[in-house]
Amino acid sequence: MLKGLVLACAGFALFLVIHIPLFRLRVSEFRFRTMVRIAFALGILLLVAYLATPSDLGFLPAASTTAGWAVDLLNGLLVFAFLFVGYCMFYFLIDRGFSGRIMIEVEASPHRRLPPAEIAARYSLEMVLRRRLGEMLEIGRITVRDGRYCNTKKGRWSVAMFAFVKKFLQLGEGG
Amino acid sequence: MRGLVAGMLAFGMYFLVQAAVFHVVKVPRRALVLVGLWLAGLPVYVWLYGWLPDDRSVWPSPLVAPSDLTTFFCGGLLYFFLFMGYAQFFYIAESSVGVRTMIELASDPEKGLTLEELTKRYHYDWMLERRLRRLVHAGYLIEENGYYRTTGRGWLAAAALRWFKQFLRLGPGG
Repeated sequence: MLKGLVLACAGFALFLVIHIPLFRLRVSEFRFRTMVRIAFALGILLLVAYLATPSDLGFLPAASTTAGWAVDLLNGLLVFAFLFVGYCMFYFLIDRGFSGRIMIEVEASPHRRLPPAEIAARYSLEMVLRRRLGEMLEIGRITVRDGRYCNTKKGRWSVAMFAFVKKFLQLGEGG
Repeated sequence: MRGLVAGMLAFGMYFLVQAAVFHVVKVPRRALVLVGLWLAGLPVYVWLYGWLPDDRSVWPSPLVAPSDLTTFFCGGLLYFFLFMGYAQFFYIAESSVGVRTMIELASDPEKGLTLEELTKRYHYDWMLERRLRRLVHAGYLIEENGYYRTTGRGWLAAAALRWFKQFLRLGPGG
């Protein structure tokens, strides 16, 4: 089972090695899409590397090579996929976290303290909504018709699912 | 497969219990309940791993893994990762401005809404107050005479977030 784990960790490390310089060198509007494409390509590379390398990778102990190839590969792919999902959580927290932005605005203020009205002035509802609408346009959840925002078919499906989850788990209107 | 199956079953049980609890009780401290139930599921994972038969008696040879520490660890890792993925989904459903926006847009599916109309439907005071209350509760901010300032933890979090934003060139974000 170690081969799959080692390759998954190496694949994720490679993802970071590619993604970080790419984001630092080139400002892309479609950052998340870029991340998904890199991860997908590396997932395929992981599959190929698994099939092309020996079961001990040349350095693993013999005792760790007794698992069946399918379960080892499945485990490796799962670990790689979940490491990516975990990194996405971290990425969204940094990039889109509203609470994080509040703390940064408070820290950046001259006296390092702000009333709610000033926080709202520094990061208005219109700015919040513009950013979210832009992101949802990018991923095809909404569309613009005559200056009006409407849900696409994909968006309507998402609304139905999230509305159900919110209601079932009693999460309130949220947002 | 024993570890992976035990991890998946343990998560399945966690998911059902968590969904039932949130459906029946209006939970005020959601993160605490989500994590608490997941931790309570750890002994269930251990029990399931012990209860499941050895792979050799059930699965074809490509799917057989030895019942050792690595297999046990991999199953536990799956239980952890599935929880992390679910937590992400849960908080998107609970707090996402994007999801809330789409729900507002669904109120007039034919015509849709302009940015101005959306702004009117969204109560920013409520949205901001909710975040501030959470940050105070979690020990990141302190409220003094109507002003908010960061605690030591808040300062550290703000500095780390600002550094990562700059490092990845993500802009101010939020």
